[in-house]
Amino acid sequence: MQYIYQGESSMNHQRIHRAVKLVSASTLMLGMLSWGVGLASSASATTATPGVTAKSVTIGATVPLSGIAAGYGEVSAAAAAVFSYVNSKGGINGRKINYLRKDDCYNINALGCTAGTGVTTLSQTQALVTQSHVFADVGSLGTAAQGTVLNYLNQNGVPNLFVNSGSSLWNQPKKYKGLFGFQPSYQAESKVFAYWIKKNEPLAVVGQIGQGDDFGANGLAGLLAAHLPIAKANQLTYDANVTSPTLAAGLIQDISTLKANKVNAVVLDSIPPVTQAILKIAYNLGYSPQWLISSVGADPISVATPLEVGAITLDYFPSTADTANSWNQWVTKVIKRFPAARADFPNYFTGANAGVLDANMLYGASYAVAFCEALKSLGKNVTRAGLLKAMTTVRFATPSQTPLRYSATKHQGLLGGSLAQIIANTNPASNPQYIKLLGNAEYTTGDTSTTPVITAAPIVSPIPGWLS
Amino acid sequence: MKWLTTLRDARPTTSRALGITLLTLLALLITFRLSALDDAKLASGAAIAIVVVGLSWLIGWSGQVSLGNSGFMAVGAYVTAIWANHHATTPIFVTLLLATGCGALSGLVLALPSTRLRGPYLAGMTLAFSFAVVPLALNFPSVTGASSGLTLNFLNAPSWFAGLFTGPQATVNANAQWSADVAIVVAAVAFFFMANLFHSRTGRAMRLIRDNDVAAELTGVNLPRTRTLAFVISAAYAGLGGSLLTLLNGSVTPQTYSIALSILLLTLMVLGGIGTLSGAVLGGLIYSYSDNLVSLVNKVTGVNPASTFGANLKGIVFGALLILTMLLAPRGLVGLGSQLVRLFAQLRNRT
Repeated sequence: MQYIYQGESSMNHQRIHRAVKLVSASTLMLGMLSWGVGLASSASATTATPGVTAKSVTIGATVPLSGIAAGYGEVSAAAAAVFSYVNSKGGINGRKINYLRKDDCYNINALGCTAGTGVTTLSQTQALVTQSHVFADVGSLGTAAQGTVLNYLNQNGVPNLFVNSGSSLWNQPKKYKGLFGFQPSYQAESKVFAYWIKKNEPLAVVGQIGQGDDFGANGLAGLLAAHLPIAKANQLTYDANVTSPTLAAGLIQDISTLKANKVNAVVLDSIPPVTQAILKIAYNLGYSPQWLISSVGADPISVATPLEVGAITLDYFPSTADTANSWNQWVTKVIKRFPAARADFPNYFTGANAGVLDANMLYGASYAVAFCEALKSLGKNVTRAGLLKAMTTVRFATPSQTPLRYSATKHQGLLGGSLAQIIANTNPASNPQYIKLLGNAEYTTGDTSTTPVITAAPIVSPIPGWLS
Repeated sequence: MKWLTTLRDARPTTSRALGITLLTLLALLITFRLSALDDAKLASGAAIAIVVVGLSWLIGWSGQVSLGNSGFMAVGAYVTAIWANHHATTPIFVTLLLATGCGALSGLVLALPSTRLRGPYLAGMTLAFSFAVVPLALNFPSVTGASSGLTLNFLNAPSWFAGLFTGPQATVNANAQWSADVAIVVAAVAFFFMANLFHSRTGRAMRLIRDNDVAAELTGVNLPRTRTLAFVISAAYAGLGGSLLTLLNGSVTPQTYSIALSILLLTLMVLGGIGTLSGAVLGGLIYSYSDNLVSLVNKVTGVNPASTFGANLKGIVFGALLILTMLLAPRGLVGLGSQLVRLFAQLRNRT
C-alpha cells in the first residue's frame, strides 16, 4: 500500500492513516467497554433473596456420593427423603424445598471418585452458589472438605447450616455468623469416652488412631483435655488421601506399635471403611483391645464386620433397633415413601440389613427436620437474616435424644449423647450387629478441660403435628 | 501497519507493554460477560498459565527439564497461606511478591546442586523434590495444618467494584469477577516481564546454552550462573502461580501439589507450545476448560462418567492429546497454527 503515498503528501497521508486507525481503535474499545459494563446493570433479578421464590426454596449440599467416604451418601439421601415427604404434604408455608446434593468425593478426587474430573468441594460449592443460587448450604459433610469452603460461603453471605462433622471449626459465631454445626464436637465425644474409660477400665493404657486432619486432632485434644495419660508413641494418625495399599501399610505399622506398647483401650477417630480396615488388621495381628469408636466411624451397618462387637461408641440418636420409638417409625415411613429410595439406600432394600435403619439415616433426617422447623418459623417472609435468627431461637424437635440448641455464642449443635455398645444380634435373620444404648443417660460436656461431663436423662421430642 | 512495525523495532519494550495492556483490557472486559463460574475457571487458568510460562522458559529456552515446579508452587502457596493467616491486612500484591521471592529462593537452593546435572539426572533430582513436598507438608502440622491444610480468606471485591453489581447475587458475582480480574492483571504483569526476558541478553545466552553449551562458553557465557538464573526465574514464576492459586482457592492442601501436578504442567506446556508466551496462555485455558473437554468426550463416546473408566478419562484424554501433539505438532497448538499457515501458502503457490 505504501507506494501510493509518494512525494510530499506521503507524511500527511501517513498521519491521516494513523489518526483513522486511532479513532477506529478507540471506538472499538469504547464499544467493548459499554458491552462489558452493560452486564453489571443487567444482572439484577426479581427476587430479593437468592434461591427463594413464591413456590420454592432451593438449598444445596456438597457431600460424598462416591469415593472413599461414599458410605455417607445415605445421610444426605435421608435428608432428601424428609424434604420430599414434606413437599408431598404441601411444603413449608406453601414453598417446596428443592434439595441439591452435589458429589464432592470428600474432597479426595481419587479412590473411586466418579464426581467428574477436577471436582473439589470448592468447585461444587461454587456451582451451588453461582449457578443454582442456593438460599443456604444445608448438611454438607466432612471436616477437611468443608474447612476449605467455610470462608467462601461466609464471604458470599450464604448460610452454612448443620455441617456434618464434629470439628469445633463450626463453632466460631463471632467470625462466622452464618455457620452452624450439628453433632457434638469430637472433643466432647472424646471426653465422654474418657469418662467411660475412667469408670470402667481405670487401669487401661490408652492409645488413639485418628484421621490426619482436624477430625483426629480434635479427638485427641478431647482425650488430653480429660487428663487421660496417652504416651506420644500411642498417638497415631492415618492419611485418608493415599491409596488403599499405602493406607493399609500405615495402619499395620500403627496397630503393631499399639500392640507392642501393650495398649488395651484404643480410641478410633476414623471413617467407617478405615474403622473396618483397622479392626480386620488388628484381628489378623491377634490384637484385641477395648475399642472406643467415634460416632461417625462406628455405624455397624457401614463398618459391616462382626469384629466390631463389643466396641463402645457415642450415639446421639435412639437405638436403631428400637422399633417402638416414634421417630424411628417416622423415619422408616419417610424413607419408604422416597421415590429414589432404592438407589439411595441400597442396604435398606437388599441384603442382611434390609428393613433396618442405620445411624446415617437418623442423622440426615434429624438435620432436615431441624431445617424445616427453622424455615417454618419464618412464616411467609423467608430471608437469610431471618433464617440465622431462627437458628438461635427455635427449640428444635428432632430424633436426637440430646437437645439441639444454638445460641448467639454457641453454634456447635448437640452437646453430647448416650454411651452405646455394638452388640451381636442373636436373630440371624436380621442385621448381625446393632448399637445398644448403655443405661438410660445422656452425657453432655464442652470442649475444654474445665467443662465437666454432665449426666442427664435422655429426652424424647414429640414429632410436630405438621410433620407426621 | 508500518507504524506498528516501526514502533516494535524502535521501542520493543513499550510496544510489548502496549500489546499486553490491550490484551489485558480485552480480557477484563470479557470477564464482565462471563458467568461467575467461568470467572472462577478463568482465574485459576491465569494462575496456571503463569507457572506454565515459567516452565516453558526453563525447558524451552534453557533446555533444562524440571519435574519440580509443583514443589515450587507449594512453596509459594504455603508462604501465602501462612502469611495471610498472620497478617490479614497485607495488600495482596505484597503477599504475591513475597511468595514469588520465596519461590525464587527455593529455586536457588535446588539449582545450586542441580546445575551440575544434565538431562534425566536433572529431571530425577527435581522429581525427588516434587515427591518430598507432600510428606514435608504432612509432617509439620503446626505450620502446614497437615492434610487439612490451611485456609484463608477469599479475595473480596472492594466496595467501588462491588457497587457495579446489583441484584440478589451481587456479592457472589462481584467477588467472582474481582478474583478473575486480579488474576488476569497479575498474569499480565508476569507475562510482560517474561516477554522482555525472552528477548534480553540473558534470554539469548540461554538459547545458546540450550543449543550448544560449548559454543556458549566460548562466547563468554557463564554457564553455571545462567543455568541457575533460569532455574530461579522458573521457580519464582511457580511460586507466584501457587500463591495466586491459593488466594483464589482460599485454602492450600498438600494433595494439590503432588507430583501429578508437575506432570500436568509439563503436558499443558507441550500442548500449548514450548517456549512461547501464547502457548502458556493456551495451556492455562486448556487447564481451565479441560473438564468441559472431557465431558464432551464423554458425550461423544457415550462413556458413563460415573464408571471407573469414565472417572479416569481425563488422564486418557490428556495422554492421547500429548501423544498426538508430539507426533503431529511438536511445537504445540501455537506451532500448529503456523504449520497450517505454511501449508496453506504452499498449496496456494502450487496453483
